[in-house]
Amino acid sequence: MAPARVPAKRILGEATNRRNIPSSPASAKKRKLEPTSSPAPRFKSSQNGPKGKVGSIQPSHFESEVLEKMTQDMAGLKKNNSEKDQEWARPGLGDFDAQKDNLCFQQIECEEGTFEDGKACIKLFGVTETGHSVMLHVTGFLHYLYIAAPISFTPHDCEGFKAYLETSIAMHQPVIHSVGLVMRENLYGFSGNQQNPYIKITVTDPKHINKVRSSLETGNLNWKGMWKSADGILTFDSIQYVLRFMIDCHIAGMSWVEAPAKDYRMVPQNQRHSNCQIEASISYRDLIAHKPEGEWAKMAPLRILSFDIECAGRKGIFPEAIHDPVIQIANIVTRYGEKKPFVRNVFCLDTTSTIVNTQIFEYEREEKMLMEWRDFLEKVDPDIIIGYNISNFDFPYLLDRAKHLKVAGFDKWTRLHNVRSVSKDTNFSSKQMGNRDSKTTTTNGRLQLDLLQLVQRDHQLRSYTLNSVCAQFLGEQKEDVHHTMITELFNGTPESRRRLAVYCLKDAYLPQRLMDKLSCLENYTEMARVTGVPFNYLLSRGQQVKFVSQLFRKALEQKLVVPNMRTDASDEQYEGATVIEPARGYYDVPIATLDFASLYPSIIQAHNLCYTTLLNKAAVEKLNLVKDEDYIVTPTGDMFCTTKQRKGLLAHILEELLTARKQAKRELAVETDPFKKAVLNGRQLALKISANSVYGLTGATVGKLPCLQIASSTTSYGRQMIEKTKAEVEAKYTIANGYTHNAQVIYGDTDSVMVKFGVKDLAAAMKLGEEAAQYVSSKFIKPIKLEFEKVYFPYLLINKKRYAGLYWTNPDKYDKMDTKGIETVRRDNCRLVQNVIETVLRMILIDQDVQGAQDYVKDTISDLLQNKIDMSKLVITKALAKADYTAKQAHVELAERMKKRDAGSAPTLGDRVAYVIIKGSAGAKNFERSEDPIFVLENNIPIDTKYYLDNQLAKPLGRIFEPILGETKANSLLAGDHTRSISVAAPSIGGLMKFAKKTFTCMGCKKPLVGKAEAEGAVCSDCAPRIGELYQRTLGKVSDLEVRFSRLWTQCQRCQGSMHCEVICSSKDCPIFYMRMKAKKDVEDAGKELSRFDRDAAAW
Amino acid sequence: MLEARLEQADLLKKIVDAIKDLVQDCNFDCNDSGVALQAMDNSHVALVSMMLKAESFSPYRCDRNVALGLNLTSLTKVLRAAGNEDILTLKAEDAPDVLNLVFESSESDRLSEYDLKLMDIDQEHLGIPDTEYAATISMPSTEFRRICVDLMALSESVAIEASKDGVKFSCAGDIGNGAVTLRPHSNVEKPELNVEIELTEPVSLTFSLKYLVNFCKAAGLSKSVKLCLSNEVPLLVEYQLAGSSYLRFYLAPKIGDEE
Repeated sequence: MAPARVPAKRILGEATNRRNIPSSPASAKKRKLEPTSSPAPRFKSSQNGPKGKVGSIQPSHFESEVLEKMTQDMAGLKKNNSEKDQEWARPGLGDFDAQKDNLCFQQIECEEGTFEDGKACIKLFGVTETGHSVMLHVTGFLHYLYIAAPISFTPHDCEGFKAYLETSIAMHQPVIHSVGLVMRENLYGFSGNQQNPYIKITVTDPKHINKVRSSLETGNLNWKGMWKSADGILTFDSIQYVLRFMIDCHIAGMSWVEAPAKDYRMVPQNQRHSNCQIEASISYRDLIAHKPEGEWAKMAPLRILSFDIECAGRKGIFPEAIHDPVIQIANIVTRYGEKKPFVRNVFCLDTTSTIVNTQIFEYEREEKMLMEWRDFLEKVDPDIIIGYNISNFDFPYLLDRAKHLKVAGFDKWTRLHNVRSVSKDTNFSSKQMGNRDSKTTTTNGRLQLDLLQLVQRDHQLRSYTLNSVCAQFLGEQKEDVHHTMITELFNGTPESRRRLAVYCLKDAYLPQRLMDKLSCLENYTEMARVTGVPFNYLLSRGQQVKFVSQLFRKALEQKLVVPNMRTDASDEQYEGATVIEPARGYYDVPIATLDFASLYPSIIQAHNLCYTTLLNKAAVEKLNLVKDEDYIVTPTGDMFCTTKQRKGLLAHILEELLTARKQAKRELAVETDPFKKAVLNGRQLALKISANSVYGLTGATVGKLPCLQIASSTTSYGRQMIEKTKAEVEAKYTIANGYTHNAQVIYGDTDSVMVKFGVKDLAAAMKLGEEAAQYVSSKFIKPIKLEFEKVYFPYLLINKKRYAGLYWTNPDKYDKMDTKGIETVRRDNCRLVQNVIETVLRMILIDQDVQGAQDYVKDTISDLLQNKIDMSKLVITKALAKADYTAKQAHVELAERMKKRDAGSAPTLGDRVAYVIIKGSAGAKNFERSEDPIFVLENNIPIDTKYYLDNQLAKPLGRIFEPILGETKANSLLAGDHTRSISVAAPSIGGLMKFAKKTFTCMGCKKPLVGKAEAEGAVCSDCAPRIGELYQRTLGKVSDLEVRFSRLWTQCQRCQGSMHCEVICSSKDCPIFYMRMKAKKDVEDAGKELSRFDRDAAAW
Repeated sequence: MLEARLEQADLLKKIVDAIKDLVQDCNFDCNDSGVALQAMDNSHVALVSMMLKAESFSPYRCDRNVALGLNLTSLTKVLRAAGNEDILTLKAEDAPDVLNLVFESSESDRLSEYDLKLMDIDQEHLGIPDTEYAATISMPSTEFRRICVDLMALSESVAIEASKDGVKFSCAGDIGNGAVTLRPHSNVEKPELNVEIELTEPVSLTFSLKYLVNFCKAAGLSKSVKLCLSNEVPLLVEYQLAGSSYLRFYLAPKIGDEE
């Protein structure tokens, strides 16, 4: 790979050669690398391959380590498995016999459909243990609803009512299948455990259910005037058909189902709806659902396709499907349970050099490539499709592109013959996630997991680029190629296209790695199993559906019916959790933390709070209940009956969830198989989350079943308990009671209290904590339990929800440093703040060196004011999310200005804008003073160090030091002697700069060189004898800078995984990127200094 | 050792007042010829150049070159304690940490002494090379101030056109236009009211009024002001002080639509 082949055009509107490689003067000399510390110790080298091979082509790490190894592993795989390397199709059916073999498979998706004569049925997609794809039509299941029967309604009225309904709804086909009278109980409110007659109306087709329901509810169907009220009849059990089916058949999402031989019928080839290997039908009565426990907790060998596409965009414009071609599609297919993918290929436009262990398919025409890829998709038949940002980019782009190119049949990605994939805009909003616009693409029968959405959902990060997410979770980087760069690589040679293909392949491989690492599949599968909803509901729907599914399942067991309450979003607020006013300060004695384990779930259980136990005054009188015996009054004045009368449904659910969690944790402890471990861990997490969400849903006023009585009673008990804990602890642990100190509760929040027992010894504090937890627990009703979890020592309590401390669970070694609400994760401040805060906390907490921390802060501030801080630490990044913000914002204004300067390299919508704040005229606003870091570097524009000090560092530092040092001393940190040394850089642009002349100063004594003879030279006449020494010094400086630059350059080469390619990464989130740019500039400047000696008279 | 005695504290007070909005921190370079200051404002559009010659002080002593890094806001605070008629003495060591300021009241025997902590300012030496200007205009400093303030009400920038007939300051703003034209004229009784124009070729340039108004704060230092212009070269605004000391401001012209 000769450098000559590297394309000459570059992004950011400049020739890269000039940008990336410093032009050092001829006099700059090579020097041996000294073993100085690496300039970037933050990142581990990913280059483990052989070093020092000169000349020969050295494959990148990704190629040599990852791809090459795959065949080796594959050899082992072949022995015990039928899968062959690069073999696309699923294994053949072999001797499968529908007459003899039970059809047992893990269902992954469940949807409504029709089968034979257009009758409604349920389609279950899944995979058998042997890896065959299955679609099962489950027939005969009819949807239904309940209404309360009026007093005068007798079983004989059923037929008449049915006929009445039929005529009133008046469709041209029969709508009502049957009307029956059954005994049920209302979920909402306690009514003495008395079952009442309910009318069950079953419809012939699920699509009629809403019509029937709304007709009933609007009050048009008051048959014979039996219902007293004229404004409609309350209906019960409003739930989707698919969920109804799964609940009634006891099928949980992602669980195994079995169709016994002879009970199911194979669908003949010509009548098939799908391209699954096995397609069969069965009546819902014959279907066996396996509870996902024990043996059935296993996973089928699901096929997972991870893919990524590259498009050739135009300069300055984000790729648009109607203009920009898709040039490469990389695919990685893995079977669940195997570590290595068995299919790796790249579909490429134009000639592309080969990549080890990877199939390259070259195409001349894009249409052909797209179509072949679709055929590949069908052949490989993935059960799950994953990728990074595939929902919002890759899927819709491919579809739009194919549509534009008029590639017929490209959109057949689903498992159903007659359903095409389409991409739709959706808006998802929930309290937890906020408002989010996204696109969804239908792939019936195949699940989708967009890792981007998943990570955004579950993790709070500084940046969500694939690069930084991988750095975070996998500890490895990938190069971040700006999309305009891709076109240039594509327009190059087969070699440069190969480079792109490797990049693309890596992008397809990383989501797979991420998914394994984060156990996403396991966690979500277990969540589906625990809550019983289909897998894809977890991503596309909110929290509520999970709870509703559980509630209905339990209600079915207890013959309860759930009212379809009309919810109107009210703003009614109830009081939330309590926070004990913090006693701010720095504690150098151990602080024990006592936590309530699953506080809200256990309150609900302990006090039997539930829909089914909710009482009102009338009911209490009617049923003749005795206070505190039959019912209790909560602190908010609501009434619930006790377990003596009835055990609440929520208590049941929670008990089950928590026992199941304990069980899972027990199994987890003994399990050794890593895959099973991941499943079990996912399970216990899912159970915990589900248990905790129960409370939240009773309080969601826009929800399906809000019950503020439960929610507010729960929080009120919580508040009471925190207060009581405080009182108990402070009453018991006193000097008067024989303890060495008076205990003090210094802070408490929602479900935890922090206690200062006063003892200095860690072990003693732990013992006291343990004891106190037990003592206080005994004062509460079971299963409420106060647990002693950890000790903070030392502990810095800054404010409510803001604290930091060293976290100890055993007296020998601390576990970690724990911080809450402190500026370490927020993205809208610069890295400097993060670094300083982290270091300061570490010094205060771990080293317990407050003086050292102060000195460190002073040094840093001093460095900052003298411009010695690396600029990468001052860069702030923000995503350019939308075009018009109402208020002017720094990053938006900068993007505008950059567009004027050079439209090609300016950030576009969706890009992250990086900026620094520069000095401006007095009174200039922040948004006027934001500037592109690269531009700042190139033009030497002075950075507004004062801004960074006052607006970024001052507040967080003040917060940390004020409790320790007091206000005045903390303030002196920001304005002491160390702030009196500053440096003012002179920029190379600006109104006056093109007129101003810089006077060189003597390198020896800093005297301005004004004389004609010496003006261009390096030293003044006084210092002329020292020229040798000074030259030596300058040369040394140049060499050091060159070494530094080379190190950074190789660091980037390592990160991109290839040691002989030019670095093309321009990641705005990467500190190395700016360091590299700065180093390059420094080398150039130092080179200029050095060349002054060439012109110096004294040297000759 | 630096020791510089000013007969009237007023001079330094006015200088600092005039420049403190342009420059926050800067070095006062002291050598045997006097005290010099040269600094750019933050946005690098204007440059302040001050020279207080040794003759302006009595006595003046400076053994070695000393750079006094001063925060002008802090200096203002200290100077506020000095009366206009006070005698002011600046004192500093050879490698100073502090600047010692002594104010002696000329009428009473009041003597106040202040120490101001110095800063270490690492600054590049920048200067505007001396050029032959195409137009040099002298006018009363109050007149210049009045023009700037009046036009400021209308617009952000002013066009200065110098021709053999006179000099025209004009501006155009959202609410209307305005122009002030001055012709050469000499007042025998009050020579400080003279308007003189020396011209080698006609000049037309545009400048930011915000900065010009800022410069005019120095009007109290000198009765007349000198404007030097050449096309596509920064404007020089010079206030002559007693002795051959001066306070100069340079301002970059506005080109095109540039802010």
